[in-house]
Amino acid sequence: MITATDLKLTFGKGTPLENPALRGMSLTVNQGEFVTVIGSNGAGKSTFLNALAGEVMVDSGKIIVDNQDVTKLPTYKRAGRVARVFQDPLAGTCEGLSIEENLALAIKRGQRRGLSSAVKARYMDQFRTSLASLNLGLEKRLGDKMGLLSGGQRQAVSLLMASLTPSAILLLDEHTAALDPKTASFVLDLTTQIIEEQKLTALMVTHSMKQALEVGDRTVMLHQGQVVFDIAGKDREGLEVKDLLELFEKQRGLEITDDSLLLG
Amino acid sequence: MLSNIAFYGAVETGLIYGLVAFGIYLSFRVLDFPDLTVDGSFPLGAAVAAMLIIEGFNPWLATGAAVIAGMGAGAVTALLNVKLNILNLLASILTMIALYSVNLRIMGRPNVALLSEETVLTPWYSLDLEYHQVPVVLFTIVVLVGLVLLWRFMKSETGLAMRATGANPRMARAQGIATGAMIVLGVALSNGLVGLAGALFAQSQGAADVTMGVGVIVIGLASLIGGEAVLTPSTVIRALLACVIGAIIYRLAIALALNADFLGLQSQDLNLITAVLVTLAIVLPGVRTSVAARLTRDKA
Repeated sequence: MITATDLKLTFGKGTPLENPALRGMSLTVNQGEFVTVIGSNGAGKSTFLNALAGEVMVDSGKIIVDNQDVTKLPTYKRAGRVARVFQDPLAGTCEGLSIEENLALAIKRGQRRGLSSAVKARYMDQFRTSLASLNLGLEKRLGDKMGLLSGGQRQAVSLLMASLTPSAILLLDEHTAALDPKTASFVLDLTTQIIEEQKLTALMVTHSMKQALEVGDRTVMLHQGQVVFDIAGKDREGLEVKDLLELFEKQRGLEITDDSLLLG
Repeated sequence: MLSNIAFYGAVETGLIYGLVAFGIYLSFRVLDFPDLTVDGSFPLGAAVAAMLIIEGFNPWLATGAAVIAGMGAGAVTALLNVKLNILNLLASILTMIALYSVNLRIMGRPNVALLSEETVLTPWYSLDLEYHQVPVVLFTIVVLVGLVLLWRFMKSETGLAMRATGANPRMARAQGIATGAMIVLGVALSNGLVGLAGALFAQSQGAADVTMGVGVIVIGLASLIGGEAVLTPSTVIRALLACVIGAIIYRLAIALALNADFLGLQSQDLNLITAVLVTLAIVLPGVRTSVAARLTRDKA
């Protein structure tokens, strides 16, 4: 479970470029929930995710992950509880390392690393089975360099890496946005499959309203650094993109002008 | 051609610079941390070892102390970068400059002779070997031990975390790796190796000198880049072998150039030749591709 309370963060404070990215954001994600997050450019989606992961420190507010206050902890100290997949398919893996070395890095996420051999024989079965579940034939290429794989394959492996060890929450930052449509739908299917099978708690930022309604079991919309609406269960069933827009206009008295949100 | 003595001398120095190249591989390649501290940690290792040997300490103990001193120097550079956010290159220049004073303080004078002292090489001279082969044998053993240890380390959990830190720091942090600590450890190890090289160099040359570090970084880089050109560094073990092979080839090439009378080169030209060689090694691959690009554009 993860609870964010009244998060505030302003970039470039006291400069002409002052930009309040989070203005009192509060959100609780319960155990086993799969929440999709939408919002137009500048709504604070990525900043919110970065704040949860520890990549940026909030000015005020509190972040609790599994009953531990992590507000002041740097990324690497949160990593045991917070797993991530980045938007950039190249960002989640190391291209100079082999597939098995990347997986070996991920299997020790948030744990002490010693001087014993990193790629252990006893990991191999787990690596092969999880890679085989991707149906990409990667289980036969454990020794290949990560850089030899395509963007979609690398994103699929990033997803595996994030789910190799248990976490309190899985953060997905528009992780299909940089892929071609076919690969994007493959990675999205894989995401829902992994989340369902392992009963993960997940927060997925997306740029597409359609995607936000199709997957997950709760949808949150951000606007100007705050949550504008939060729907789940019966209210969310059968909802379409135009209903979301109406909801948004009703809540804020605003019209959405970001085309990519509507078309996505 | 080279005389026997010149040949063994070149290999001996090459092996010592192989250790320097290991260090530079760690900082420049593994951590992507351009570190010039080595110009100071090389004479630091020499100074620490020389002074302890003169004080009557066991030469291996003195050499170990030189490694620790080198690691300390590296840690200072890394901490300036990680904790005080000073640009890595600048942080290393600051430490390098500071070490010049530190080295003078340690030795109390610009140079210290070790000619009649017992060094790590002394017991080996009783072996049935030619005089100038002795350092080559001992340093080969040292380099091989260093190579195996480094290789094992790079394959360990911590070593893998260090490689990830250099290659993709954002991903490394997301995997729970303390990237700052990895940089401190890596740069310290790197300069520990360079301190070792300095200590061995002082003992084989019979003196420690405060100016002996000038250009160590460039020679080390020349060895690294040259070795990588000969042996594609697709794996860790190949990259480490490339360091040693590159360093030996470099020293042999320099020895040949200085021996070839028709070139008219003298030993004081060494640094100029090194700088030219490194520049060519860095620029040539780029020139080749841009020429190729121009040729294909003309055709199109």
